[in-house]
Amino acid sequence: MRVEYINPFVEAAFNVLKEVLNTDIKRGELYLKSTTMPVLGVAALVGLAGDVEGRVMFDMTKQTALAVASTMNGEQLSSLDELAKATITELANMITAQAVTKLHDLGFRFDLTPPALFTGDNMEVSDHEVEALIVPMETPQGKIEINVAIRERA
Amino acid sequence: MKTKQDFPSINEREPDGLKPDGTPFRVLVVDDSMFVAKQIGQILTSEGYEVAATAADGQEGVEKYKELFPNIDLVTMDITMPKMDGITALEHIMNFDKNAKVVMISALGKQDLVKKSLLLGAKNYIVKPLDRKKVLERIAQVLGKTSTA
Repeated sequence: MRVEYINPFVEAAFNVLKEVLNTDIKRGELYLKSTTMPVLGVAALVGLAGDVEGRVMFDMTKQTALAVASTMNGEQLSSLDELAKATITELANMITAQAVTKLHDLGFRFDLTPPALFTGDNMEVSDHEVEALIVPMETPQGKIEINVAIRERA
Repeated sequence: MKTKQDFPSINEREPDGLKPDGTPFRVLVVDDSMFVAKQIGQILTSEGYEVAATAADGQEGVEKYKELFPNIDLVTMDITMPKMDGITALEHIMNFDKNAKVVMISALGKQDLVKKSLLLGAKNYIVKPLDRKKVLERIAQVLGKTSTA
């Protein structure tokens, strides 16, 4: 996978998280996974199809998801209810949209699926024939992993 | 008890959400995300605006606009929504009321989308994430409340 696809997502994640959490974000080291990997507990997934295809996943623990949703709503949410889920979905939506706007300006054309939110314990994700690049983002609310698996359409 | 007399105001500025006659501007919020609708509602009501109704898709947005008309001052319109997208809903509202004040609010800032919305009659285009100040400034500007462009 070419790095130029992931950079807009990392930049967008950094900018959006910084703005909605109103705090400093630390970017961790990028790493590559080509096999099945565990999911932390709450994962928002957006699909891409067009000049490039694949998916972007925003992965975090349930505790982090609650803390992030609470900060974004300006109130303490005690469970991952409809509002909390809508908040995490919207976070994924904002980051993806900002990245896509950037990629669009670079000349890539593709469509997005609405974000889907997965919650549960002991989940794994397997990307058949597409390697995934992962960039961890450290926030005061916890770690959020930006997990991008995209390839050029053959 | 008349609170206005009991508690003299330190800040003399009128909230932007009020018309010259003191009644609030009425806003229709169209967005499929519960979080975003709540966020827009909180920003607007904090400045005195009244959320007259909310709609969760474009089709419902158009229907509610027609129901509320002419007792509606502004619409905030999301773009990516189920059933009917915000651009199509904007077209329907502009066809129904050519003086409608519709402000697009989207996470997508693609140039062609912004251009298309403005050509179809949208009065402004706000890119998310939403910042309270940014939203209030743009909306006040659309309603002609401020002289700052």
